[in-house]
Amino acid sequence: MATMTDKKSLGRSRLKRRELTDGQFALMIGLPVILLLVVIVAYPLVYSGWMAFHRIMFFGGYRTKFVGFKNFQTVLTDPEFWWCTWVTVRFTLESVILTMLLGLAIGLLLNRPSRFGGLWRTLVFLPWCVSLYGAGLMFAYLARGQTGLPTAVLAHLGMKQVPDFMTTRSIIEVLAIGSSWTMAPLVGFFVLANLKTIPRRLYDLAAIDQLTPLETFWNVTLPPLRFTLFVFTSIATVLSMKLFDFIFVLSDGGPGDASSTLTYQLYKVSFKNLNLGYGAAMSFFLLFLIIGSTMGLYLVWGRREKQI
Amino acid sequence: MTKRGSNFTIAMAILIVWSLLPILWFVRMSFMNHAEITQFPPHIIPESFNLSSFANIFGFNYKLGDGSISSASGQAGQIVRGLQNSVIVSVVVTLITIVIVVPLAYVFSRLDFRFKNLLLNCVLLAVAIPPVSTLIPFYTMYVQLGLVGTLPGLIIIDLTTTVPFVTWMLIGYFRNLPPIERLARIDGFSRLHTLLFLILPLARSGVAVAAIIAFLFAWNEFTFALVLVNGTPATTLPAAISGFLGQDPNPSQLAACILITIIPPALVAFFLQRHLGEMNLADPVR
Repeated sequence: MATMTDKKSLGRSRLKRRELTDGQFALMIGLPVILLLVVIVAYPLVYSGWMAFHRIMFFGGYRTKFVGFKNFQTVLTDPEFWWCTWVTVRFTLESVILTMLLGLAIGLLLNRPSRFGGLWRTLVFLPWCVSLYGAGLMFAYLARGQTGLPTAVLAHLGMKQVPDFMTTRSIIEVLAIGSSWTMAPLVGFFVLANLKTIPRRLYDLAAIDQLTPLETFWNVTLPPLRFTLFVFTSIATVLSMKLFDFIFVLSDGGPGDASSTLTYQLYKVSFKNLNLGYGAAMSFFLLFLIIGSTMGLYLVWGRREKQI
Repeated sequence: MTKRGSNFTIAMAILIVWSLLPILWFVRMSFMNHAEITQFPPHIIPESFNLSSFANIFGFNYKLGDGSISSASGQAGQIVRGLQNSVIVSVVVTLITIVIVVPLAYVFSRLDFRFKNLLLNCVLLAVAIPPVSTLIPFYTMYVQLGLVGTLPGLIIIDLTTTVPFVTWMLIGYFRNLPPIERLARIDGFSRLHTLLFLILPLARSGVAVAAIIAFLFAWNEFTFALVLVNGTPATTLPAAISGFLGQDPNPSQLAACILITIIPPALVAFFLQRHLGEMNLADPVR
């Protein structure tokens, strides 16, 4: 009954130019997209859920067997899984912190008026135009002892050392530096946009109050940036945790398993070992980790900033 | 004052070097020939400055200085085709993303309706799902639908990453536009009219940035392209380049290819970058 009257009023609204309610308008605009989102979100989740509760065998004929929570149990008792979780967390922390610091620096530097400002902006933005697999290749060639810049510089100076950074100890740092190289420009440009809204007179007032540059930064510049910084910390966290092609190209999870993050492990388990049930169960733990860390960020930090 | 000025110059110089160093390292590699690139220790500046790899990847032979011929790459066919496909896919994905995302972000940011938070969380969830874990479900579906190795299939997959991400970024932007809906309503504009002729021109920076982001995502998409279209006539540039990693390792041609992939997004970003300077996510004085 309610829907009928709704339909009637919808039909009549065109003739009489009556306003749609917010909900009706939202439905009109959003319905196709909502259907798309259902496909994007629900279908793979349901499918992965089904896989996670089954054992899927390929050899000797394709067959599946319901195994309950066994896949989840196996994941949790697997030391490999915990190692990959630790690698993921370590990489994400380093990558996010580097990205945010670099982004802030880019924003602050580009905000200073200078000649050729447009040129500098374009050059600084370039890393973001490089694809993740391209950046992965670049950093692989830069960091490897055989082809890297440090070796070339040392050889130029007449030294014979071959500094190699693609080792178990430093590979995660190479990955973090590389991923922050690609992500930082985006953060920088959004910071820049926010900096431009700070009224000039606040800096004049700060000068009258004789604040040191650090105090000026802390009390005048930083407060309006905080919301943007929070949003991009979340975005950088999510992007770092689901990063795959960059790691695949740069280090291929190695040396050994030194840089196998959960995404890489997922790829290895599902596509190389064809252990689909186990992989699906692991993908849920990865999803929990991603959602959990963004929720954590929100509870600890975002809640105190202005709401979107 | 001069001291602060010089500090600024130094910091700026470091930033520029940092941003360009990895790219320049590949520029250097692309100018080297096969013999020079394998030399140890590596040179900083290439000695044989030649453009052979740029000619080779497009399927042309190139005569080197000493009379020998650097022959065309076996990947050339895939690369030329990949370049065409990548342009088609990226442009189509960008257009569709904008048409979908702008109204959606507007609705989420400016209107109140039931289930809004639930749907918003759906968008966030779609952003959070890693592509590696959706690969198998999508692949199975694509095999059944016959979409493996086709451009429409890849476009649909790309949309599943661009739409949620761009929506998420634009919602904060739309919140900051001046609240003109009431005024428009008083003047007798319908909602659609308000959106198309009042909000859209106001939000052109947001639309431009949405275009940049969607274009870059689609242009650089690697994981899905590798699985779905690699080796088929629908291959895209990233998938075609992956051929250099495995069967035919040729660092200078690889470098040349990567440099070419940077050009289109750099052009897009160059023409739309001034809009990036206007993306305020949050209004501090509200």
